[in-house]
Amino acid sequence: MTTITQTFSRDHARCDQLFAQAEESVAKSQWERATTDVNTFITGMERHFSIEEDILFPAFRKRTGHNGGPTRMMQMEHQQMRQVFAEMQEYLTQQDREQYLGLSETLLMLMRQHNAKEEQMLYPMTDKMLQEDTAPIIEKMAGDQ
Amino acid sequence: MNTAFLALDQTPPLSVPLRFFLTAPLFGLLACVLLYTEGSYIFMNRWTPNTLALTHLVTLGFITMVMFGALQQLLPILVIAPLPRPMLVSTTIHILLTLGTLSLVGGFLTGSTGMMRTALVLLGGAFLGFISILGYCLIRLKAQNPIITAIRLSVISLFVTAVIGLALGLIFGYHIVLPFPTILTDLHLTWGLIGWIGLLLIGIAYQVVPMFQITPHYPPAVTPWFIPLIFMSLIIWTPLYMLSELHKISVIIPQILLGLIGLGFSVFAIMTLKLQAQRLRSVPDITLNYWRLGMVCLLLSVILWVISLFSPVKIFSPILVVVLFLAGFAFSVIQGMLYKIVPFLIWLHLQNQQLEIINPVKIVKTPNMKQIIPDKLARRQFWVYCSALGLLIGAVQWPFILSQAASIVFFCSFLLLTYNLYQAVWLYQSVTHQMQ
Repeated sequence: MTTITQTFSRDHARCDQLFAQAEESVAKSQWERATTDVNTFITGMERHFSIEEDILFPAFRKRTGHNGGPTRMMQMEHQQMRQVFAEMQEYLTQQDREQYLGLSETLLMLMRQHNAKEEQMLYPMTDKMLQEDTAPIIEKMAGDQ
Repeated sequence: MNTAFLALDQTPPLSVPLRFFLTAPLFGLLACVLLYTEGSYIFMNRWTPNTLALTHLVTLGFITMVMFGALQQLLPILVIAPLPRPMLVSTTIHILLTLGTLSLVGGFLTGSTGMMRTALVLLGGAFLGFISILGYCLIRLKAQNPIITAIRLSVISLFVTAVIGLALGLIFGYHIVLPFPTILTDLHLTWGLIGWIGLLLIGIAYQVVPMFQITPHYPPAVTPWFIPLIFMSLIIWTPLYMLSELHKISVIIPQILLGLIGLGFSVFAIMTLKLQAQRLRSVPDITLNYWRLGMVCLLLSVILWVISLFSPVKIFSPILVVVLFLAGFAFSVIQGMLYKIVPFLIWLHLQNQQLEIINPVKIVKTPNMKQIIPDKLARRQFWVYCSALGLLIGAVQWPFILSQAASIVFFCSFLLLTYNLYQAVWLYQSVTHQMQ
């Protein structure tokens, strides 16, 4: 049976790939291509965040019965990443290679440690707690990846 | 909702890991001074007090110092649970470890029993204190994954290393006669290098190699049993080695186990190099250079080690194996990590501070990681370090010709590392100042 852990981790890997592609285009100063790649990457991340924030986290909170805890922490980290996205887009428009690459290095650390926490702790917890109720969430994530 | 508070709640205060990271290169500098003044004699015999002083400056002052800081930072993030009283724990352990290492080295160099006794108390407190606190957190933890297993087993190895080390210290401090001191020394050394340093670095690699360069994960079919297998081999090796030294069994039996452990380490090195070759990120990365160099040194160290175990004639000094393992493998991997962790933590804390200030006097742009430690500075240190390592390896073979040159270039390498880390902290302080 497919699990939340598998499906959501696969989407992380997909976003990682988009991140690397965007970074490479900027590093090579291929600005036209970079604009498309950076936007594809950010759209991919936003899609992932919104499925988590609108469906997965509320389901987790409903089952555990409290509002704080790990999901609030994850949501806060999403917010932190969104700030970096905004700055990255700014430097992309200015075609400032150095600034973009410095920020993408920073984002990578933020993103990967966030993903590790989700993949190692939060998703397995969700799989255990939601059990058979995971199907619609998985379907939504796997839908149009 | 105060989002900044949540972030800081999970991440310990910046000074918790930083005090360890900033002290470590200073011990590296001291080690170079000792190598310069004692020069060639250091490499002649591993039993001289000066060699022991140098080894402990490196293993306790540099390697263990960084690993203690890294564990206090990593554990709360890995397990989403803070360590108890992080500031108190960090300050106390840091003082005990720093002064304890200095006393131990002083004791070795001067032969003073007073310094040795002080070292026993201070280091005993540092190790047993740190291990108890970590043990408390690790026992409470229900989650199970290969990284947590690695931390557990390496902390147990640290306990074994520390207990034997403290017992050996009694010989110097109180002139107590212990049975079989050479066997105990070998056990202390093997548990320290393989169990504490080796297993912990493999465990950290599971987490950070895929994280830093976007490589595939280490194969999940291998990671759950890989570190426990090395650990079990070390446990089985211990009594067999003692029996063989007492001529009860053939020496070949414990040697085969050590050979297997060596095979394990080379599999790890090859696996890491292979994963890094498959990385998605194509931009140049200084940490990647450090890790690749570290893995090559680990492989060389293991190959020479296995040759020395089974070869009837001595072709090279056994000190070369340890130099490659510590100054090649452990130093590289640790420096590579510092170049990611320190700028990231500084960025994260600046970012959190920015959010915490409700009415900032002026909005200050948080510098990004590459502005906190510029690539140019890190790259320059990498090349100086490579030259220093090359000279040091040469110095083991030709101590009279190369040991002083090696110590001078290594001093420069540590000086640049110190500068790179401290200038990052100065930047942090100046941005914090501007925010207020």
